[in-house]
Amino acid sequence: MNTRTQSRFGTPELLFMLSVGVLIVVVAFPMLLIFFNAFWVDGHFNVADVVRVLQRKETYEALLNSLILSGGVTVTGTIVGTFFAWLVTRTDLPFKKTMKLLFLVPFMLPAFIGALAWKMLLSPRAGYINRLFMDVLGFDGPLFDIYSYAGIILVETMYLFPFVFIQVSGALERMDPTLEESARISGADLFTITRKITIPLVLPSILSGALLIMLYSMAHFGTVAVLGVETGIYNIPVLIYEKIHQSAGSFDSIRTATVLATVLVLTAALIMWMQNRVLAKGKYQIIAGKSFRPTELKLRGLRIPMLILCIVYIGLTIVLPTVTIFLVGGLKTYGLSFTLENLTWANYNHILFEWDLTRDSIWNSISLGLASALITMFAGVIISYVIVKMKVRGKGFLEFLGMLPFSVPGSVIALGVILAWSGKFGINIYNTVWIILVAYIARYMAFSLKANSAALEQVHDSLVEAARASGASMAQALRDVVVPLVRPGMVAAFFLIFLPALRELTVSVLLYGPTTRTIGVAIYTLNEDGETVYSAALAGIALIIIVLGEVLIKRLVTQKNGA
Amino acid sequence: MRSTKLLSLCSTAILLGGLSFGAFAQQKLYVYTSMKESMVGGLKTAFMKKHPDIKIDFQSAGAGKLMAKIAAERQSGKILADVLWTSEVPDFYQLKANGLLLPYIPAEIKALTNPLPDYDGSFTAVRLGTLGIAYNTRHVKEAPKTWDDLKKPAFKGAFGIANPALSGTAYMSVAVLSKTFGWEFFEALRANGAKMGKGSGQVVDDTASGDLLGSLAVDYITLDKVDKGATLNLVYPPEMLVIPSPAAIFKDSPNIDAAKKFVDFILSKEGQSIIVEDGTLPVRTDVKIPERFKQLPSVEDAMKRAMKIDYQAIMAEKEGTIKKFTDIMQK
Repeated sequence: MNTRTQSRFGTPELLFMLSVGVLIVVVAFPMLLIFFNAFWVDGHFNVADVVRVLQRKETYEALLNSLILSGGVTVTGTIVGTFFAWLVTRTDLPFKKTMKLLFLVPFMLPAFIGALAWKMLLSPRAGYINRLFMDVLGFDGPLFDIYSYAGIILVETMYLFPFVFIQVSGALERMDPTLEESARISGADLFTITRKITIPLVLPSILSGALLIMLYSMAHFGTVAVLGVETGIYNIPVLIYEKIHQSAGSFDSIRTATVLATVLVLTAALIMWMQNRVLAKGKYQIIAGKSFRPTELKLRGLRIPMLILCIVYIGLTIVLPTVTIFLVGGLKTYGLSFTLENLTWANYNHILFEWDLTRDSIWNSISLGLASALITMFAGVIISYVIVKMKVRGKGFLEFLGMLPFSVPGSVIALGVILAWSGKFGINIYNTVWIILVAYIARYMAFSLKANSAALEQVHDSLVEAARASGASMAQALRDVVVPLVRPGMVAAFFLIFLPALRELTVSVLLYGPTTRTIGVAIYTLNEDGETVYSAALAGIALIIIVLGEVLIKRLVTQKNGA
Repeated sequence: MRSTKLLSLCSTAILLGGLSFGAFAQQKLYVYTSMKESMVGGLKTAFMKKHPDIKIDFQSAGAGKLMAKIAAERQSGKILADVLWTSEVPDFYQLKANGLLLPYIPAEIKALTNPLPDYDGSFTAVRLGTLGIAYNTRHVKEAPKTWDDLKKPAFKGAFGIANPALSGTAYMSVAVLSKTFGWEFFEALRANGAKMGKGSGQVVDDTASGDLLGSLAVDYITLDKVDKGATLNLVYPPEMLVIPSPAAIFKDSPNIDAAKKFVDFILSKEGQSIIVEDGTLPVRTDVKIPERFKQLPSVEDAMKRAMKIDYQAIMAEKEGTIKKFTDIMQK
């Protein structure tokens, strides 16, 4: 290697250093500060304080609630997800393709907006469904009280079951049907086949989906905050929120929060570890990559009832809450019945054109989403390139750093960012939009790395080598060969980040300042302030923006694939 | 083709991002207030029409959250707020004692009613907030007349009081009611199933929806919803809760002139007329309460019926009062 090529290698190597730097500053440093602040007090290692926080009733109640809720959601979500996955892949259900798409819709709806809708429908005395049963049908008490463990589990299940649904329907579609056929030829009945062949084959997918649900639910703020506060049900993210917001931001409360964050991280790590074990065991070669046409179970007399079940389920979990949000958003004041004279466009008009708080929040969310998606997209492609293609020592560490926030709950990232960037280390961006941007970059970097690595792995080294052999510089090879090939991956990364960032709540609720509310924060605080109709109107607008974004992705991605 | 599309997408995004971040750098007057949008919205429009050079930004939240925010900002070295306007009067005495407030005697001081002792201009009452009993007329047929009526079965299990740690009006009410009637009053309410809610807006909204049958409610928040057709009514027992909401200017504010203009504006006849239109009592005697708010008493009547407030004592006992109340309500 002569000096000329050395200098040509300058750019990528500089990029490597830069990406390591970015990851350390944005990801590693805030995370480390959390553990440091939890265990070190005034320069001493201090376990006594940690134990003291852990012994508080609220701490272990929060942990217990987190376990009860995420455990419950995992069980119900897995059952619902597996059942529907089986229904749309292995039976002769009518309109299977459409149903399959519809079951994915809850994925793009923010769970906390769903929680708001269900509060309006099923709060014990005022929920519209409960009122219907009590006022019109003469029931003595409410039909169902949403302010309960069961209520929270129900709502989270509705929005999280797709995790299992996607995994299991994918596995069922890829499964080699000859296995089942040979069992049937050998005389096994359907029950035996299901028990001995189908279930063991898809079990790894079921479990990995279930653990994803658990991980998500464990770290989930919105639903519990909206539905649980009334009856005193809170989990760890809610407790962290209350610690940060209600105790004057004093260092003691931040320290308590760091201990809680540590508990959350450890629980999440345990779940990730379990998932890895399950996935390691589950490498069944029998699930081939090809798409077979699996044998379908004839539902016969159950075909129409099952179709009705699916339609009712979709109607109840998607259509009903969405319609409720839009209708309540149009009410003159909360609690009125849905008659024409009680409905008005005034709230929507006020939210969009007159009220700074809401207009700012839409603006903030869109610009934060764009900025974080762009930055992580470009940083992600560089870092993935280093991880996938370059032979640099220590790239495993780089991968670990980038993927770390994937398993770290949002509240923990927010807390780390507060510790790192509120003036203690010379930079104070607390209360500004920048601190949210930094947190988003840390949180979504893993998304970008996944999408970009997948794209880069498909670019064969020989292409770059050919370019280099033909005399192109490394930078030229990157620009003319690699980047055009990974562009679909970059675009995918952009939207994978832009859309979640648009509706983000868990992180921004801990970081917002006077003018830096995001859409999620604005909806949440309006609800908390008792401005229910405005929060519903803004939620409706947010849903429109999200759905438009989602449609736009589909358009762009299919165009890319088609071209 | 594709690359140009991507490029234009990226550049638009950067442009949008840059524009929005640029906007944050603009100088503005920050008013931290616990007043709800229904009140500050109108004030803002009128003020900016009069002073187009001043961009004003309201941070609306409960008094407790605002003070937490200010404390955090103080620790980080710079208070972002220029003006504070809440109903938690003890906070103002505390901030004054800490030397954080700028004494400013408003231009039209002569026209104002001043309910606050030791007045030196550090903070000036902007409205005389009243709290009464809001009840849902779908569920409660007979209007309560006295505070003791809240102990009756009509409100069983569903009377709400906002969390005094979050809401300044709730804190003041709890302090004044416990001084006047003793803690037995709240113990009896709790025995009848009364609950502690979140913010002062939220308890009224829950009463309007019917989740609560009644609540200890702030005048303008309730009347705004009554105006919009909520099945709510607001009544005042003979002993009235009258809580002044003062406004103060922070001494280190970089926008002192603009802040003074704002304080003068909300105390002017024009500003007070806007405030009164929302359904609360003015501090100016030359501003009339609109006819449609028949629930509201006159300023003289309210001052006569008001329960006495010992601000110094309330300030000293703040933490104890909140803890005692929380303990009773969570028993």
